[in-house]
Amino acid sequence: MDITIIAETQDGGLHPVTAQLVGAASSLGASLTVICPGGAGGEEACGISGVGKVLAVTGDCFATFDGGAWAEALDAVAGGDLVIGAAPTSGRDICSRIAARRGVSIIQDVINLSPGLNITHPIYSGKANQDLTVTGNCVLTLRANTFPPAPSGGTAQLSTVQQSGDVRLAVAEAFARASERLDVTDADIIISGGRGMGHPDNFRHLYEVADVIGAAVGASRAAVDTWEEIPHSLQVGQTGKTVNPSLYIAVGISGAIQHLAGMRTSKYIVAINKDPEAPIFKVADYGIVCTWEEAIPVLKEELSKLT
Amino acid sequence: MVTIAVLLKQVPDTTARITVSDGRVDETAISTWVTSPYDEYALEVAIQHKEASGASITAITLGPPRADKVLKDAAALGVENLVRVWDDAWESLDSNQVQAALSTILEGVEADWIYCGKQSADRNQGSTGPGVAERLGMACIVEISDWDVTGAQPSFTRATSSGNERLAPTPPIVLTFTKTETELRRPNVRGIMAAKKANIEVVSADIGDAQVQVVAHNPPAQKPEGRKFEGAESVPEVVGLLRDEAKVI
Amino acid sequence: MTYEGVDFYDIESELTDEEKMVRDMARDWVEAEVVPNIEQACRDGVFPDEWRVALGEMGVLGMALDGYGCAGMSYVAYGLVCQELERGDSGVRSFASVQGSLAMYPIHDFGSEEQKQKYLPKMASGEWVGCFGLTEPDYGSNPGDMITKAVDEGDDYVLNGAKMWITNGTIADVAIVWAKLDGVIRGFIVEKDDPGFSAPEMTGKHSLRASVTSELVFQDCKIPKDRILPHVEGLKGPFSCLNNARYGICWGAVGAAQSCFHSAKEYALSRIQFGNPIAAFQLVQNKLAWMLREITKGQLLALSLGRKKDAGTWTPEQISLAKMNNVDMALEIARMARDIHGANGILDEYPIMRHMANLESVKTYEGTHDIHNLILGRHITGIQSFTREL
Repeated sequence: MDITIIAETQDGGLHPVTAQLVGAASSLGASLTVICPGGAGGEEACGISGVGKVLAVTGDCFATFDGGAWAEALDAVAGGDLVIGAAPTSGRDICSRIAARRGVSIIQDVINLSPGLNITHPIYSGKANQDLTVTGNCVLTLRANTFPPAPSGGTAQLSTVQQSGDVRLAVAEAFARASERLDVTDADIIISGGRGMGHPDNFRHLYEVADVIGAAVGASRAAVDTWEEIPHSLQVGQTGKTVNPSLYIAVGISGAIQHLAGMRTSKYIVAINKDPEAPIFKVADYGIVCTWEEAIPVLKEELSKLT
Repeated sequence: MVTIAVLLKQVPDTTARITVSDGRVDETAISTWVTSPYDEYALEVAIQHKEASGASITAITLGPPRADKVLKDAAALGVENLVRVWDDAWESLDSNQVQAALSTILEGVEADWIYCGKQSADRNQGSTGPGVAERLGMACIVEISDWDVTGAQPSFTRATSSGNERLAPTPPIVLTFTKTETELRRPNVRGIMAAKKANIEVVSADIGDAQVQVVAHNPPAQKPEGRKFEGAESVPEVVGLLRDEAKVI
Repeated sequence: MTYEGVDFYDIESELTDEEKMVRDMARDWVEAEVVPNIEQACRDGVFPDEWRVALGEMGVLGMALDGYGCAGMSYVAYGLVCQELERGDSGVRSFASVQGSLAMYPIHDFGSEEQKQKYLPKMASGEWVGCFGLTEPDYGSNPGDMITKAVDEGDDYVLNGAKMWITNGTIADVAIVWAKLDGVIRGFIVEKDDPGFSAPEMTGKHSLRASVTSELVFQDCKIPKDRILPHVEGLKGPFSCLNNARYGICWGAVGAAQSCFHSAKEYALSRIQFGNPIAAFQLVQNKLAWMLREITKGQLLALSLGRKKDAGTWTPEQISLAKMNNVDMALEIARMARDIHGANGILDEYPIMRHMANLESVKTYEGTHDIHNLILGRHITGIQSFTREL
């Protein structure tokens, strides 16, 4: 079996999830080709252990993101019975299109992959998992921070291919992000507040803690719905963002089922809530029954000592 | 004349409990089915676009008879044409089959602007918008968070790693939407009376064979019970555990 | 979580798709706009004007009437809307009842074509508010002896007298006023700027605080001749309006009862005494079971009455029984819910006392509890006991 991996790039280099894609694909015992859209990160990809070949694909279409053009260019150079990409937005877009071009199915957000193409992915926002098998070829996207990354030490050869696609999207205007704050989907540590914070102004205490440990600040739907000051971009949950950071700290969040759906796969969960019966404690690795007013200053102080 | 299509999916209410029995999610235990929340935003923008342009809208859903509800709800908000794609022989369609069915219908509708949610709230895949765009040879903007459809040239904004980009695309195009602060319109009694009279066209499509087989559904793995501490004085201990035991800070 | 209501006997399966859609529309609006704001409205003693606009936009005002901007929905659909509105507050349902059943309905059924075209579309949209003047300071249960009278003065009618306990009076653009013309009760359409007409608000209420209650005063109030409702004479006019309003109350009371029941259930499950949630105690369970029983019976009664209304087969006595029963049970449920909430039940953090106080008015308006008993007594025995020579 030949596998093509679509590298996830960021800021002209390789996103760490790429090594995870290689790690997951290695277990299938196939020859691995990594293709780098726009040519970014080619050298790095060669250094990932288990990679057989790296194709840096360069073309005019990679100047801006157009899923259709990228898919056309990448599909033209990608062989492979199986195509694997990463599950963030752009990866899903490109991979959906490659699957459609090939007339095969796509399974997104895979969390378990084993030889014989036994695939598991969450459905109902993680309220259940679905085990699948595939007849023939297919395209997969894998969830980040789920598969162990392949180690470094690879010596694959890098080839550069010129290939572009038909660009149909043009950017009329670009805006820089207003705040430099980390987005919850990019963060390895998240501290989220719920309606138990009492007032939107109190979220500044969460930001203070976040600044100490380089975390992103999130919010529950209840908080977002109650207070206009808390933007929807912070919302973690079924109709917000699905996250799986290493550490998720839930403050004043009761743990409504739709919030749990968005964060239950976090590696470690800390819950701070004054109500000992709050459902959030059922998923918390470490629960602290306490008001946020009492806990947050101590938390900030303790975390400051670490850095 | 501008034509708009909007793809709507019926999903369990997002607050519904999902139970698994005999290796399958028990759909009969789900009491409330709703229009997938992201699709509601797509529908809202489609209606704004219609109001500004005088377009007609065709709402399309793929699902069993109970999915008529999402079309009736759309009709109550002013959508004129309602199509449900279904065949009683269908079950657990894979992405290739879903896109084949929807593309077939969309080819017939000849829509310039195709609106849908960024993903469904039940399968969470996000494949349908770009997949359908590819099949129809269209551009696609995914996860739109802001828009202006009031003028002759609609524009749509998407997030990038460094901020946002506004695009003013040329149709035909597929547009997928995320949830935003926008207030969704409510139906009114007159709209509901119109919906009562609205006709739903039920059609089938050639979707080929399934390539993906469902082996089993499973409840998510239960984490072992965590530890609970009382009071702020336990915070230093928990921070110590995060450092030494969990090794996440 | 979407509010799902109480539906122990699967009433859902007996509703049409449109009825469910209209119910859900009203339910979502109440959940989003009324529930979060009602306590403040009550404290301020106002009916928020944006609710008037919203009710008009939703199209629920006069929704069971046909034509002239009205939707012609079933009376069951209208009843379901009343249930949802009154789950929010009796004052909100009262606004819709008065506008639709007491002000628009008589124009629709007894008015001239010109009157219908002039008034109904603007009232359906909520642009114009209507009120209904029957009760007088000295004549409540006995409207037949009303004092307000109209005199034919050639080009005009001239009204003199006063009405009391008039919902929406002060904010009304249009009043349907019942007055005696040559000894016969007739309906007149009075507009807010007519000379000699005023509508001062009544204050000091402990009930229906989010609803405007007024006096209507007519001092040589002159109105054009074309403002008389041409197609009805006698008490039949106001009574047929009241029948429709009573029907709305049957459903509305179920809504108020559901609100109290839900609050009581939630409270009983979360309130711990003697180491257990109080819901675990038999006396509390007994109360909750009684509430569910009465709500379910009330719903079935209201649905049955609505289907009869849609089929045109209801009788005034059936309406009396349902109005009386459902308000009675709702009031009892409110009191019981207060009991379950303990001292917390008196706080406006919970909807209990508000519903309880509202329902005292609802028990009395549109035919008092006792008058409805007398209507049934007359039906059973054939002997009317309203009047008696002493």
